[in-house]
Amino acid sequence: MLKITARDAATGPVLEVSGDLDYRNATHLRERATATVLRPGQRLILDLSGLEFCDSSGISALIAAHHHATTLGANIALAAVPAPTLRILRLIGLDTIIPLHPDSDPTALA
Amino acid sequence: MIHTDQQPEPYESQNEGAPDIQSHRDSTPDAAFAALLEDSAEELYEAAPCGYLSTLMDGTIAKINATLLDWLGLERDAVLGRMRFADLLTVGGKLYHETHFAPLLRMQGDISGIAMELRCANGDRMPVLVSSVVKYGESGEPLLIRTTLFDARDRRAYEEELLRGRKAAEEARRQAEADRARLQDALTVLQKSLLPDTLPTIPGVETAAHYHIASPDRLGGDFYDVFPLDGERFAFFLGDVCGKGPQAAAVTSLTRYTLRAAALHDADPASALATLNTVLHDRYTGSGDPRYCTAIFGILTPGASPGRLTIQLASGGHPPAVVLRADGTAAFLPTPGGLLVGVLPDAHFATAETVLTPGDTLLLYTDGLTEARTGADRTSLYGDEALLAFAADHAGKSTVDVIGALTDLLASFGDGLDDDTALLALGVPPLTAQP
Repeated sequence: MLKITARDAATGPVLEVSGDLDYRNATHLRERATATVLRPGQRLILDLSGLEFCDSSGISALIAAHHHATTLGANIALAAVPAPTLRILRLIGLDTIIPLHPDSDPTALA
Repeated sequence: MIHTDQQPEPYESQNEGAPDIQSHRDSTPDAAFAALLEDSAEELYEAAPCGYLSTLMDGTIAKINATLLDWLGLERDAVLGRMRFADLLTVGGKLYHETHFAPLLRMQGDISGIAMELRCANGDRMPVLVSSVVKYGESGEPLLIRTTLFDARDRRAYEEELLRGRKAAEEARRQAEADRARLQDALTVLQKSLLPDTLPTIPGVETAAHYHIASPDRLGGDFYDVFPLDGERFAFFLGDVCGKGPQAAAVTSLTRYTLRAAALHDADPASALATLNTVLHDRYTGSGDPRYCTAIFGILTPGASPGRLTIQLASGGHPPAVVLRADGTAAFLPTPGGLLVGVLPDAHFATAETVLTPGDTLLLYTDGLTEARTGADRTSLYGDEALLAFAADHAGKSTVDVIGALTDLLASFGDGLDDDTALLALGVPPLTAQP
C-alpha cells in the first residue's frame, strides 16, 4: 500500500509518502510528483517518514521528482528518510544531488 | 389443465368486466381434457413420442409401434415375426446387446437407459436410449420382453458438442503450451545474449562467475562481462539495471555493448562509465520511462613481476567490491559517492585501485545477494556485514571455490532470494596451486 498526501508549507508543496514504494505503485508517486505545480525557487519536499519499503522503482520515482523540480527552476529535498532507504540513496550517490533532511517538519527546512 | 378446472383462476372474481376472456379461458381446458379422454390406448401406443417394442424371449419382434417403425424406415410386415430386436441395431450395438444387455436383462428382469444405435433402412444410424423389462407369467416364467427406445439424437449432439468443446480446449491448451515453450526459448536466447557464454582465459588470472535467475519467465537486469582490451590488459564489468522484464533487458543489452565499445575507445574506468552515462541519459531521458543502472567497471593489468595484478575500477552507484586476501581477511573496496548511471548528464563516478597477489580475489556482486531476506520470517536482510564475514571465511581459496560457496549460499536463501543475482570473481591463483 502506498499513500500520498499533499500539504503546503512556507517553502512550497509537501508530499507525504507512506507505505511501500515498489514496482507496483512507484508510478503513482512519479505521476503525483511530476504533476505538482512548482514556481521557480520553490522547494518540493517529499516527506518519507512513513515510508516502509523502497525498491529500485521507488528510486526511479524519486529521480523523476528531482528532474521535474529542477526543470521548473525549483528544487527538491527528501525529509525524514528511513535508514534502509538512506543506505540505498548513499550507495547510489543520490544523496549528492538531492538534499536530505532528518526532520519531517517543513518549517525546520525553511 | 385439470388444475385450472379444480382451482378457480386467481383473478376470476376481479375480471368481471371481461366475460369474453373468462369464458374462453374456461372452455379451452374442457375441450383439451375431452380430447385427451378420447385418445385411445392404441393411439397412445402407436403415436407415442418414443419407440415401443415387444419381443419373445428369443428376441423375435411380436409388436412394434408406428413411431419406431418410422424411425427405422421399415414396414410393419417386414418386422413382425421376421426380425429380432438385435437386428435393428448396428453391428456394435448387436454385439453389446448379446454380451451385456440381454444377459443382464435375463438376470435382473429389467434394464434401463442403455445407449445404443439403431440401424435405419436408409443406412443412417440413430442414437437411442433403451430400457427393457421382462413380463413374467403367473408361475414366474418369463413370457416376453417389453422395450422402450427414446430418441437420443439431441442428447448425442449435445455430447458431441461437449466432446468437440473439450477437444478445442485441449488444442488451445496444447497451442498455449507450445507458444509458452517458444517464448521461453526466445527468453533464454535473449537472456544468454546479455551474458558471456564463457569467460576468457587470462594468463595468471583465475575467473569465475555465477548468475542466479530469480524467475525463468522474467528477463533479468543483472549483467557482467570480461574481455581483452589489448595484448596485456583485460576489462571487466558487472552491474544491475533498475527494473525487470523486456524493457530492463533492452537497457541491459544496450549497457553491455556500450561498455564493451567504450572500453575499446578509452579504457579508463571512469571514462567508460561516463560514456555509458551519456548513452543512457540521452536514450532514456525524455522518454517518460527513464532507465538507470548501477555498475562497476574495471581493468586488470598484470604487474611487471608474475603474480601481481593491478585492478583499477570505477563505480556508478554499485555496492562496493570485496577483496578477499590470501591471509584470510576480507574488506570492501569502497567507492562512495559514485552516482547511479544515467541520472544526470554530467555524473561523478567514484574510482578505486588495488593490487592482487597470489591467493587474493576480487569479488563483484549485485544487490540480490546483500538484499536477500533471511531469518525464519524472511524479514531481515543478509546485509553487508554478513557478506564480509562470509568472504573472510573463504578468503585464500580459489575463485571457483569462492563462487561455488556463494552459489550454495544463494541456494540456501530459498524464497528469501527473489531478485536476480550476478557474481563475478577475479583472482590470482594461490601459490600452492601453481604448477
